[in-house]
Amino acid sequence: MRPDLPPHCQTLLQGLINPARLIDYSDSHWELLIRLARRVKLLGRLAFLVKEHGFWNQLPPRIASQLSSGLVQAEKLQQLNRWELNRILWALNDFDTSIIVLKGVAYGLAQIPYAAGRLSVDLDLLVPKADLADIESLLMVKGWRHLPLSAYDEHYYRVWSHEIPPLIHAERETEVDIHHTLIPVTSRLKIDTKLLFDAAIPVKDTTISVLSPVDMVIHCAVNLFQNNEIANDLRDLLDLHDLLVFFSMQEIDFWIRLTDRANQLKLARIVYYGLYFSQSIFKTPVPEEIYNRLHARPGRLNMWLMHRLVPLALFPQHPDKPALSALLARLLLYLRSHMIRMPFYILLPHLFYKTVRKLQFKKQK
Amino acid sequence: MMIKQIPYKEFHRLLLNQGLRVAIGPFNVCVQTAYAPLAEQLYKLYCHYRLVQDEIAEFHVRIVTERLYKNPFRQNVRFLLDGQSPFNSFPPEQALAVLEWGINLAIAVRVNHLLILHSAVVEKNGHAILFPAWPGSGKTTLCTVLCYRGFRLLSDEFGLMDPRRRLFLPIPRLMPLKNESIAVIRSYLPEIVMGQSIPNTQKGTVAHVRPPEQSLLQSEHTAKAKWIIFPKWIAGSPAKIEAISDSEAFMLLASNAFNYEVLGATGFMAVADLIRSCDCYKLVYSDFDNVMDVLHKLINEA
Repeated sequence: MRPDLPPHCQTLLQGLINPARLIDYSDSHWELLIRLARRVKLLGRLAFLVKEHGFWNQLPPRIASQLSSGLVQAEKLQQLNRWELNRILWALNDFDTSIIVLKGVAYGLAQIPYAAGRLSVDLDLLVPKADLADIESLLMVKGWRHLPLSAYDEHYYRVWSHEIPPLIHAERETEVDIHHTLIPVTSRLKIDTKLLFDAAIPVKDTTISVLSPVDMVIHCAVNLFQNNEIANDLRDLLDLHDLLVFFSMQEIDFWIRLTDRANQLKLARIVYYGLYFSQSIFKTPVPEEIYNRLHARPGRLNMWLMHRLVPLALFPQHPDKPALSALLARLLLYLRSHMIRMPFYILLPHLFYKTVRKLQFKKQK
Repeated sequence: MMIKQIPYKEFHRLLLNQGLRVAIGPFNVCVQTAYAPLAEQLYKLYCHYRLVQDEIAEFHVRIVTERLYKNPFRQNVRFLLDGQSPFNSFPPEQALAVLEWGINLAIAVRVNHLLILHSAVVEKNGHAILFPAWPGSGKTTLCTVLCYRGFRLLSDEFGLMDPRRRLFLPIPRLMPLKNESIAVIRSYLPEIVMGQSIPNTQKGTVAHVRPPEQSLLQSEHTAKAKWIIFPKWIAGSPAKIEAISDSEAFMLLASNAFNYEVLGATGFMAVADLIRSCDCYKLVYSDFDNVMDVLHKLINEA
């Protein structure tokens, strides 16, 4: 079932799933499309689609220059991320550990289609928890440092989070996020990371790995529906769609293995959301019977709510006419994301702290 | 159609409703505001700019007013780019400075199809002259004098270069004079139109000079650069110009550009080619008549 989307969302969605139609877009549609795509980090993707469909030369010149600016930026950030990875591997050269590269840089290494147009801001890595302290101190010795954090944030990262505070090398600007698992420690869900390391696929001619195809898909769904607040995360749902389309073409039993793995990792509910929204928004060809193979599924009321809220939050607001309904959806999903990430005794003080800090911040402004 | 050709009422209505679309060099900017004092200043200072109601705009900016919750009787103004707020709110009398600053920021962070050097650019006899910024250069002040004394203004801030055709694109903007420069220019060029002085901004007191009409009329005429001159204002110093090496000029120019790094190899090739095709100098000056003589001599010898 396709959710009802406001017209500006249709402008963006049609451009993404039916790029051939872009050729008929009027100037005012293009103008809006560029603003929306930029908001959800999809300018580079749009540039790629236009090139792929061969009508770059027919674009209005003001649109072509904006798309090409977006693509240049995406390519530059990817280059910076790859260089940062190169430096990390150099710094850890003598240390025996396993490093799994996650998200954007991993999509490039795994040669996922459209990875080259993806706007990836940070470098994300997964390392064994036992090696975390050594890796962090080795990197600190070689010039990486943490940005100054409040004592509360430091505690948040160290005790409750699935990653350590971001590291940045003194001479560069790329943020490195080092994870020891894929879900915050405070969540009810737990992942046995050993399973992920055992299944990881080594990258040719390197010492690093990427997650196996099914784990990569699951991680993408987990990030979207467990770790994040969904607002403006359309790019991440499109990642999920790309991964599903690519892997299901490569491996005959991909869907079976995906659902088996989701059941094994006890992440079936999250994967259900991922499949459902990827299919309902981007028309991903998910076989119908696959949903039934998942051992845990969201209840009816939950699904009814999510079906209404998620698209309103995923898509960007109209830049000139933000809708109250979308604001409300974002607020509710923000609360949901916190409730599933932490138990109440942590959540309430956490939200209180964040609110107070926000007010103080505003006051300073 | 130029802004001065529409009545103020119509101008104000556009700012209030669908937005005033104005051509600023190669870009179209859609400006919205309900803050009347800003509208009045803009009508005066933007009067020579071209209106573009039916073209695509690259930048959508707004100045909105907001009440301070610690003092509900005071208002602040905030700059929005596509509905997002990149910086703090400011006292309302700074609205014009905040708008100009915000548009510059938008150009600097979003544009990568052109190389953006941090430099004033003027044109004489069909050749562009770059005056790159470095601390104490006083490039805006120098640029203001030059463009009201026979040079054409391309920009006081952005050396906007098409990296493939190696051409400089004009992007004439209001020129924000700072602190002592305001009085200096008022006495040296008493005829020019300037906005009111805005005290206590992040850069001290600022007053915006309206760019010359002739420069705005020619803002589609690109130019190839012939000279790169690094200026430095030193009180009481006679104007002195001195050639510098290509390598020094390259480092000074590339290390102080807005998006040189982002463009990667494209940026390197463009700057290398630019340096090769230009004569590069350092200029020390204090007196405008003096500096004009030096520049005319340089140009006429070429």
